[in-house]
Amino acid sequence: MIGNLEGLFLMPEKGIDEETQGVVTLVRRWADKEVIGDRLEYRRNYPSRFDEKRKTLFLAMGLQRLAVPEEHGGFGWHTPGRMRHVLRVLTEIGRADCSTGVLLAMNCALFTVVTRFCDGRNGLTDSLASSYLEDEMKTASCILTGPGHAGRETPLFKGRSILARAAAAGESATVSGEDLRPLAAGLAADRFLIVCADSDGSPCLALVPVDAPGIARSERVKAAGLDALANADISLDAVTIPKDHLILDQDAVSYLSACLNLMLGGVSLGAGLNFFEIVSDWSDSRVIKGGTVLKENPLCASVLADTAEEIACAGFLLHDLAGIMPLTDHPGPSGMEAVYTYSAMIGAKAQQGIMRAINRGLELMGSAGYAREWHAEKHWRDVKTIQSIMCGTGAEAPVKMDIARFFYNCSEI
Amino acid sequence: MNGFDDFSRPMEYISPLDRHFRSVLRRYIEQEVMPFRRQYDEDWKDHAIIEPAFDKLMGELGLQKALFPPEHGGWGITRSDYIFRFAYMLCEELGRADTGMAVALAVTFWPLLVILVEPFVNERLIAEFAPMFCNTKKAVFAANAMTEPQGGSDIENMGLLRGRTIRTTARLEGDQWVINGHKLWPTNSGGAASLFGVPCTTRPGSDDLNDFAFIYVPAGAEGVTQGGPYEKAGMAADKNGDIFFDHVRVPAWYRAHGPGSDAEAFYQLIPFGQVASSAFLTGAMMNMYERLNEFVSSRTYRNRPLKENDAVAAIIGRIAGDIDICRILGHEAAMMGDRRNKPYGLPLTSEELVGKIRNIKDFISDRAVENFGKAMDVLGLYGPDRDWDIEKHWRDIKIIQLWMGGKQLCQMESARYFFNCETV
Ligand SMILES: Cc1cc2nc3c(=O)[nH]c(=O)nc-3n(C[C@H](O)[C@H](O)[C@H](O)COP(=O)(O)OP(=O)(O)OC[C@H]3O[C@@H](n4cnc5c(N)ncnc54)[C@H](O)[C@@H]3O)c2cc1C
Repeated sequence: MIGNLEGLFLMPEKGIDEETQGVVTLVRRWADKEVIGDRLEYRRNYPSRFDEKRKTLFLAMGLQRLAVPEEHGGFGWHTPGRMRHVLRVLTEIGRADCSTGVLLAMNCALFTVVTRFCDGRNGLTDSLASSYLEDEMKTASCILTGPGHAGRETPLFKGRSILARAAAAGESATVSGEDLRPLAAGLAADRFLIVCADSDGSPCLALVPVDAPGIARSERVKAAGLDALANADISLDAVTIPKDHLILDQDAVSYLSACLNLMLGGVSLGAGLNFFEIVSDWSDSRVIKGGTVLKENPLCASVLADTAEEIACAGFLLHDLAGIMPLTDHPGPSGMEAVYTYSAMIGAKAQQGIMRAINRGLELMGSAGYAREWHAEKHWRDVKTIQSIMCGTGAEAPVKMDIARFFYNCSEI
Repeated sequence: MNGFDDFSRPMEYISPLDRHFRSVLRRYIEQEVMPFRRQYDEDWKDHAIIEPAFDKLMGELGLQKALFPPEHGGWGITRSDYIFRFAYMLCEELGRADTGMAVALAVTFWPLLVILVEPFVNERLIAEFAPMFCNTKKAVFAANAMTEPQGGSDIENMGLLRGRTIRTTARLEGDQWVINGHKLWPTNSGGAASLFGVPCTTRPGSDDLNDFAFIYVPAGAEGVTQGGPYEKAGMAADKNGDIFFDHVRVPAWYRAHGPGSDAEAFYQLIPFGQVASSAFLTGAMMNMYERLNEFVSSRTYRNRPLKENDAVAAIIGRIAGDIDICRILGHEAAMMGDRRNKPYGLPLTSEELVGKIRNIKDFISDRAVENFGKAMDVLGLYGPDRDWDIEKHWRDIKIIQLWMGGKQLCQMESARYFFNCETV
């Protein structure tokens, strides 16, 4: 490959201090040495290698504590100002393996939301943080809104059905819901962050540990990608949680969605960058038309350009999105609502762009792109999986409604 | 619209066999394939579940005999004037259930077409190979071994490269061909096929079509070694692997036709392959419609079925509209093939026919890739879920866009015909 990724995919570097650069460099080294440099072995023994490499990253290198506040012994990357750094790290991880990136993203999203909305309820942050400092891997899984079922009315969050219900009573609260589909890792999770409707039907968040009585999980769901993250549907039968595990603030739901759009965008961006490296190597050495190096054929070059262009633009958009995360502190429509809308818009654009980049690049790789051996197809499946789960339901339509509502004040869509 | 059968196809093009045969086939497929297809991915290597389904379809129902003349125990389809439309129907029905299975069956026909379709008929070879397929109730596979490690597109790019890049050699020694070379990726390799059709060169580096040879090689011939199947993104019912030919000897008369004619007969495979590919895709998209319809009717946005939301309706309306258009185009491509013997028809080897059919296949592939991706997004969280079947088709059909020389070769052959390009 010509040049290095930084030299090719320019990103706004504002505010990357030495400490952050150090973490990014460490994670890149982990990706190159532990995963990318050992792809064949990693692929052949995926479940065991995945756990082993994730352990190195999460525990030995300590990234499990990335978004744990500093005063609780973490890196403290949980504030809006830190989002661009989180994005950088998740991009490096996604370059190696989307599944690992998705797990870290969900953990980071959890702390980002909890620390912001549980101000004054330090008990929750304390207990959560101390469990993340243990020498044991933690997995948080998010359950967002879903498609509703015809004939069954549910409370809504921006048109999307809220399928879980939460009710506070005294010092505790109960959470119920049937067949809820987590974004990922429903079988492996030790806690769920669930979008619920409170007793008034308003959106809120509940943090539910999996060992709480009343939780049932379905069989493993087989999925197109993110192979390492065994998912399952979750049912909660009046599960009791402490009251401080309930975040009764609609903004928390918006913020969670914004964080996930950004963070999972970063994971997909990483996969896109590694795909670029793969297709770049291929186009440097593959010969077509009886003697032309693939990249020197004008048609192939234009397809290669599409791939690079989509990835570069997605990177720019995501970095800009990270840059506006601090706006969530602003009151009024230019604050949380704006960031929510921009994150939905940019999240969808970035995922679509990266997916298009991979789809086009695969066109040039013939059968090699389709073979597991080359790893290109894994990025293709993983990114598509992330794209679809972040879409929610209805393809781009719900996000278009969010955008129209924000920009045109629509009130009935 | 009542169901997936209502997608348009020009009714005047429908072959006499269509209605009856389609319903028999559909029953078989709905009993033997569809209930099990979600388990196929894990069975990619052993085919423990897949093989019995092939035995039922190809052996018991007898599909593998279809091309051979009745006097050899076959159904004589290659003598009809609707072979392309018959193939379309077969591939579409199978594609609805599993495009991997569809390609494994269609490619069994592929190398045999070189000796079975007028004007390139070789009676001696038909008599030689018919019993292998017609006298058994077990599935028997053939493979068309074109692709080589240095590239598959160039070998299919006969119009421009005329066999110049083929490295698998055939040397005549007495009354035998001696074959040396390495092929990879053919459908039904990886240990499945009993017979290979092998494009070779009798003079490496030559672009004289007289030096192109199409030679049949039984998989059990001495010197043939096959690797195990590759693990792929999808298409588990199709095994693909390496085949090595190391001084393999076959009788001289195992060459399809001889200098010049081999290249022409082989070139006919391009339209057959592209029409079959189009049919796999429309079949898979029809199944996508079935599953999508179920989802958008039963799941909601703003507490109303997704399909009743105008913005979602626009998306799914476009998807269904594309399926409708693609099916019409696919049947048109099949009909172009079946018109070959008519005064107003075009020979299968003409640049016009190849360019137009490649163009249709390229168009349908693009629509399929885009619409499967879109359908997964409509299902959102459930899009990547195997139980909804759409993700399996999404993984399977991507390669249909990429095989047979890939999308770019389709674009070039189309440009070559429509703009008289000389070097692309
Ligand atoms: C499931 C499956 C089934 C298959 N079945 C068969 C089979 O039955 N028989 C068989 O022989 N092979 C088969 N193949 C192989 C397949 O047909 C080839 O992979 C395909 O033809 C592309 O060849 P390649 O992978 O060697 O890529 P290359 O030939 O190296 O081409 C790479 C890319 O270069 C570009 N390119 C090529 N030529 C041109 C050009 N002239 N102008 C511009 N761009 C160009 C295209 O983008 C192409 O995708 C199968 C593969 C799979 C995965």
